[in-house]
Amino acid sequence: MSEATDDGQVVRLKVNGAELSVAVPGDEPLATTLRDRVGLRSVRTACGIGICGSCTVQVEGRAVSSCLMLTAAVGERSVRTCEGLVGAEGAPGRVQQAFVDNRAYQCSYCIPGMVVSVDAYLGEHPDADVDEVRHALSGNLCRCGTYVSILAAVHDLVASARSGAAAATPAD
Amino acid sequence: MRRPVLGADQPMPDAVDRVVGTIRFAVDHAVPGMLHGRLVSSQSPHARIVSVDATEALAVPGVRAVVTGADIARDPRVPHPLFGVSRPDQPPLATDKVRYVGEPVALVVAETERAARAAAVLVDVEYEDLPYVTDPAEALRPGAPVLHDQWPDNACGDWRLQRGDVDAVFRQAEHVVEHVYHSPAASQVPLEPFVAVAEWDDAGSLEVWSSTQWPSAVQRVLAHMFDRPLDQVRVHAPPLGGGYGAKGQVKIEPMVACAALLVGQPVRLELDRVEVFHVVCKHEATMRLRTAVDGEGRLLARDIDLLYNAGAYGITDPGAAGNALVRANGPYRVPAVRIRSRAAYTSTVPSGSYRGAMTNQVSFAYESQLDEIAALLGKDPYELRRLNLLVDGDTYATGETMHDVHFIELVDEVASVIDWHAPPEPPPSATTVRGKGLAVILKSTPTPSRTECRVELHADGSVVVFTSSVEMGQGAFATIAQLAAHHLDVDLSRVSVVGPDTARTPFDTMTAGSRTTFSNDHALHEAAAHLREHLDGLARELLGWSGPTQHGDGCVSTSDEGPVPYELLLAKAGVDVVDVTGVFQSVGGEGMKDPSDVHGHTSVHWHQGAVAVEVEVDLETGKVEVLRCHGASWAGRVVNPARVRQQNDGCMIMGIGTALYEDLQVVDGQVVNPNMSDYMIPSVLDVPQALTSRALVSDDPAAELHGVGEMTIPATAPAIANAVFRATAVRVRDLPLTAERVLSAVRGREPQEGA
Repeated sequence: MSEATDDGQVVRLKVNGAELSVAVPGDEPLATTLRDRVGLRSVRTACGIGICGSCTVQVEGRAVSSCLMLTAAVGERSVRTCEGLVGAEGAPGRVQQAFVDNRAYQCSYCIPGMVVSVDAYLGEHPDADVDEVRHALSGNLCRCGTYVSILAAVHDLVASARSGAAAATPAD
Repeated sequence: MRRPVLGADQPMPDAVDRVVGTIRFAVDHAVPGMLHGRLVSSQSPHARIVSVDATEALAVPGVRAVVTGADIARDPRVPHPLFGVSRPDQPPLATDKVRYVGEPVALVVAETERAARAAAVLVDVEYEDLPYVTDPAEALRPGAPVLHDQWPDNACGDWRLQRGDVDAVFRQAEHVVEHVYHSPAASQVPLEPFVAVAEWDDAGSLEVWSSTQWPSAVQRVLAHMFDRPLDQVRVHAPPLGGGYGAKGQVKIEPMVACAALLVGQPVRLELDRVEVFHVVCKHEATMRLRTAVDGEGRLLARDIDLLYNAGAYGITDPGAAGNALVRANGPYRVPAVRIRSRAAYTSTVPSGSYRGAMTNQVSFAYESQLDEIAALLGKDPYELRRLNLLVDGDTYATGETMHDVHFIELVDEVASVIDWHAPPEPPPSATTVRGKGLAVILKSTPTPSRTECRVELHADGSVVVFTSSVEMGQGAFATIAQLAAHHLDVDLSRVSVVGPDTARTPFDTMTAGSRTTFSNDHALHEAAAHLREHLDGLARELLGWSGPTQHGDGCVSTSDEGPVPYELLLAKAGVDVVDVTGVFQSVGGEGMKDPSDVHGHTSVHWHQGAVAVEVEVDLETGKVEVLRCHGASWAGRVVNPARVRQQNDGCMIMGIGTALYEDLQVVDGQVVNPNMSDYMIPSVLDVPQALTSRALVSDDPAAELHGVGEMTIPATAPAIANAVFRATAVRVRDLPLTAERVLSAVRGREPQEGA
């Protein structure tokens, strides 16, 4: 659903649970729209070619590089950025809290993209082990080299998922 | 009593904003009425600019101006357009000629980024190509193309050191070894790009927001450029999305400030990734290292010839080659030393600081060669190091006496954790081999330098520390808060930190060289003493107290009075705020006054690090995998253990990149991999399964704090090269140790062109 304007076309987006309309040129990447038009600062373009993962967002729950996806092509699909992973009453979400607890941040330019990727992967693969998540994070680069702390956060998340699953499983 | 605040694992106060993504970087800064810049960059390595035709670009709707170097050069409001912290050789935009591919030639200024981008490709620059040189050795030969008329020999630093009768020792020595080691240009790759916003007011004052590690230097350079008093140039440095040295000195700020002045409106410029690769890189370097040893392996003499590629402009040169000279001998006792360290202009990306600056290149050479000597003599590399490492009281190559050095403890630490004397685990297949390697490094620290901390104690008991040290992910603000709470003996929860804004925060030389923790510790120590004196004065004058006072736990007392909490003292005295400034001015460094004869004091103290690794080499592909990696640095004391570990770990991970694949390649005068696909940095999959580190500390609770921001990176590449040698018996003297290069060496032939 779109209409032409001088700026391109008006596109309806579902971002972090809210519906909004933005006028965007047809060739505008989603990363630019989210950062410059919607004001979501967690979305950061660092490489511009889908390599570094700093602009990672979830589209229908899957992690994508928003510098490579055109806004006009998102359509009905829901978009979630790291800001949208904050829990009720503004408290950090589960993945975010694990990053905070494990000091999994330094300069932090890459960290929201990391959080979004971990959240997406664990959402799709609730039984994932640390090594699987590690491979899923290979498209998110951290120049500070915070990886050890990030993996510690992933370890906590995997462990709590397992203990949660164990608690939910009736004993024989 | 409160728990000790030093050594406590305090999170950064803005941790949630960092993780959620709501923290504000310079890249998030906007001002009303701001225009957007877009670069037009040189496509020639060396050429005269014949003309810049902006007719078509100016016709793009929304475009306001196309600013050129000639526009700046002829504007009387810019009396000193050339800038540079070490040598003023760089114009904000190329003027008359370009000196490297990627050099900014013009800045399109438009109402939107989109318009600026559309117009930039329409700017037509006509060049008259000139002969160019990209190899620093060729650049120093007579008749080479000259980059800067003022320096017709292309020299950008020539430093010498001579200690003892080097030639006589070489003549008599039992063994003499000589090798040449090479490190390529590399890129710092901060994920936040260079970005700056500049705004002039009607009264002629300039305000700049920039992703910079050196706000005080940016302020001074801009004040000089525009001939304004310092108080009319205000520089803000918000938290950085990565620096690693790239954001040191002065970069795009002059260009943006000039554009804002000429256009008469605020201008913002954010570089794209290709442009970031062209602002600054790590110095390419070649080190010829000749060493004399006796039969036991004692180092007797060194003769070192170092040549750095400065690139087209001396961002850190000519000074940087001097820093390299001071570090080139390594942490070893060598009685006779001769060093010449030079840098040369070439038509390549300007070189500047890169984490472990001017140390990574020399440590790769001297630590590789130490293992070559061990192999020659049949000695254990670990024992050979222990035999030669400097200890307190030894004389260094500069002639200064070493103090507070712990190299033997460091090498013992990493050797112990890597199980040095145990053979590597058996490799998984017949076509893989394993080996262990280690390396130890020293780095001088910027001397002299200055750090000021202004501390306000308010009547509500809160403490505000004003600092121009830059928060770039290392946790500078959190560390300063912990140090302030420690020295003032107040609760950490009462302390907040105001970061760099030159109109509000006091001077700091720079956030670089791992000096921030160390120098702020001294400055805050002094500020706390001033604060106590001030409070004592209040108690005497306004409350009539007499006799000696005691301070502790946020209270003051005498044998008769108190303890009175500070806020109560201020309330009783009717004082709203007490304001003191602590200053740390490191002295010395006179050993580097004369580049032709470096001798004497060069460093207020020494950075020290060590790394040990175990690697696996695939003999069929040449691929090197780091299986285990342990690093250690000397910290003296630890302010925050989690952040110290992240510094040491992060350095080793960055070091694995420079060891194995990072190489900013220049072909035909042009960088051929200026993007993050072709220039790879380590991902989580490159992190060894066992990567650990430890900061060594003193038993003395008053031991001097040492910065730990870059102590393990210079040791990582040589440790890996040494481990590859012990695994394969092949010595690679050129970084990086790419699979192609290792495979070629294993097969007993030289690497192919471009490998």
